[in-house]
Amino acid sequence: MAEEQKPGNPGAAIPGAATTGAVSSAAAPASPAPAAAAPAEPKPRVPFSPVLLKYINEPNSHTIEHYLARGGYETARSHVGVTEPATLIKLVDDSGLRGRGGAGFPTGKKWSFLAKGTGKPAYLAVNGDESEPGTFKDRYILERDPHELVEGVILTCYAIGSKHAFIYLRGEFILGFERLHAAVEAAKAKGLVGKNIFGTGHDGKPGVDLTITVVRGAGAYICGEETGMLSSIEGGRGYPKIKPPFPAVSGLFGCPTIVNNVETISAVTHIIKHGVAWHKQWGTEKSPGFKIFCLSGAVKKPGVYEVPLGIPMREMIDVYGGGLKDGRKMKAVIPGGLSAPVLTPEMVDKCTLDYESLASLGSMLGSGGITVLDEQVDMVSAIYNTMRFYHHESCGQCTPCREGTGWLEKVAHRFHHDEGHQGDVELLADICKNMRGRTICVLADAAAMPMQGFLQYFKKDFEAKIKDPAFVEKQRTYRDEISPKAKTLSATGAGPSALDVGSEMAE
Amino acid sequence: MSPSNMQSTNNAVRANWRKEFSPEGMKKFHEYADEYPNKRSALMMVLRLAEEEFGSITDEAMQIVADLCNVGVSHVQGMVTFYTHFKRPFHGKHRFMVCATLMCALENNTDAALKQVEAKLGIKTGEITADGLFSCEKVECLADCDKPPVVQCDKEHFTSMKGPQLDAYLDQLLKSEGKTAADYQGKPGIKMDQRVPTLPSHFNFPGESQVGARHFENKDAYSPEGQGELTTKIPGALATPLTVPVADGVNGANGALGSKHNAGKSHGSNQNGAGHG
Repeated sequence: MAEEQKPGNPGAAIPGAATTGAVSSAAAPASPAPAAAAPAEPKPRVPFSPVLLKYINEPNSHTIEHYLARGGYETARSHVGVTEPATLIKLVDDSGLRGRGGAGFPTGKKWSFLAKGTGKPAYLAVNGDESEPGTFKDRYILERDPHELVEGVILTCYAIGSKHAFIYLRGEFILGFERLHAAVEAAKAKGLVGKNIFGTGHDGKPGVDLTITVVRGAGAYICGEETGMLSSIEGGRGYPKIKPPFPAVSGLFGCPTIVNNVETISAVTHIIKHGVAWHKQWGTEKSPGFKIFCLSGAVKKPGVYEVPLGIPMREMIDVYGGGLKDGRKMKAVIPGGLSAPVLTPEMVDKCTLDYESLASLGSMLGSGGITVLDEQVDMVSAIYNTMRFYHHESCGQCTPCREGTGWLEKVAHRFHHDEGHQGDVELLADICKNMRGRTICVLADAAAMPMQGFLQYFKKDFEAKIKDPAFVEKQRTYRDEISPKAKTLSATGAGPSALDVGSEMAE
Repeated sequence: MSPSNMQSTNNAVRANWRKEFSPEGMKKFHEYADEYPNKRSALMMVLRLAEEEFGSITDEAMQIVADLCNVGVSHVQGMVTFYTHFKRPFHGKHRFMVCATLMCALENNTDAALKQVEAKLGIKTGEITADGLFSCEKVECLADCDKPPVVQCDKEHFTSMKGPQLDAYLDQLLKSEGKTAADYQGKPGIKMDQRVPTLPSHFNFPGESQVGARHFENKDAYSPEGQGELTTKIPGALATPLTVPVADGVNGANGALGSKHNAGKSHGSNQNGAGHG
């Protein structure tokens, strides 16, 4: 479907890719999209062509031969053992690169927080547990350009002084794991990973060692949370740990650890290669650079698109995504993975794809998974599905999350079956309020935020699913007649509403 | 734990359990273990190894993994039950996983795919065919949201799995097992039971005497090697006076679990409490 957008690319399915479905939707437009749909820009648009996903549609792009042929590992070769690590950290800091995993924390700043002089080894943990529904960008890097990530890991480890990096992939990335594992092995065979990499350790130069361990998870959303991931790497249940201490002080095995997303680490290579000015020519002042967005839902051309930050969301949906399928009307957009609060079409019009714009609209850029919901979607069923997901994925450590997600699912389930009770909308809002900010990790917030967004903008959809008020009144009368106790309770307002009164009360 | 479950994991069965992986598996294990600062942290990968060795993570596999990684079996079981992607004995040989999260569920994609699988295999979602070959379940996001519905089966990942494509794959899978769809029509499936027995309560930890009786309710299930069925009659070696007092209110099973080395003795005490008291 998207072949016409990338004339330079063969657009062929990757040989050996274990997908029987269409693989062509991974197209990244080769030329900047026309700015027809965009409002007036403050500065002229700098032409952009994909950086991270440039080669993903070429056959054998995952092999080391392909990577070396396009100048791969040259950046690492020219810096490892040559440049001062502090220079690299400053370079990444100056570039303004922000974490691509969801929180958008400045990467250079995070690296500079790494505790030094502790006498313990420092670790790098790369987060490839891409489990936010609606996000599938890391899959393309891992399956089709793993060496890009490996080079980023080499440079990052050198910059932060780490000798051991862990790359944690989710269990469902079967092909991604195989390819990344093969990539690490191939790099090891070429002396790019292992002892004295890139020929260091000779001519009086200190040797640089690096071990890369690829870990495969086994299907737990919570392992995408940084401390949960560390728990999993340590060989336990993926239980998040309380912060502080932050991983940069006490992380993996109690040692200082830097945790970064796959996309962030992959971008590091290009930033170090091309420099700060190159990276800053795109994006906004506070969100410089480019990012991979994952488009799904009711658009004509879903897939991954790498674009400069700060482009209008309308452009992403209408130009890159080709607009909505079958002339449908947009009802809502989930902008940053399932946990991001929903946007209405009016908000989408004024929204640009950068961290600040989405934060000002009460949502978040998150991991960049944009899902378009059309008017056919039943919003109440959609939120029920979402709540079921979070209930299933709650790790169970903290009561507000373990119980709260369950309650949200149960109440949403009532709405899903058109059996909402009077007062359920308020109940949902109350549960959300009591979940947020009261748990070790942010899964409770991630569950409460979409619910709050849906309640804010689609309250009418919920109210329409409350059982007919007349029916409720009838029930109330009936019960009051047979149960004086229930009558007293409902009259004083102290008791549960009429429909909540179970059979035991109606005796 | 029902007695029938106990039967499958009693000590006589356990005596025949393997003590380690195959030579190739052990080689892989050492490769993994060498990469980590301690053996415990290799658990995720070693469990994957166990999955390959045994086809699914069985009790036997968990015991081996626990021994190899220097952790308790309870820790291994805790991990196996926490992570949903590990294949367990109650899953079918071919485990169909259909993504049911929002992006796939839009436009009825998930339901359509599930219906197709259900029609072909004659089972409901969450069930396994009576011959144990196929099972079908709903799972959460498989991270390929642009091409719904996403299906995983047998280490393979499929996108846009609907209509003829899904049918063709199902047929191919059935053929590889020498079956046809007709074989499964009208035969109800079995519900996949998450509560598969994993740790019998008479479980012995490594290095512990096999004689230590840990469970007192299902005596039939307990038969220590060389001693025959355990009845109320206490074997001579165990019929010594109790040296470690058992706290009041602690029943026999708990008392035995609490005092590791005196498990057998405390058992004796409970059975013949009056005599020793």
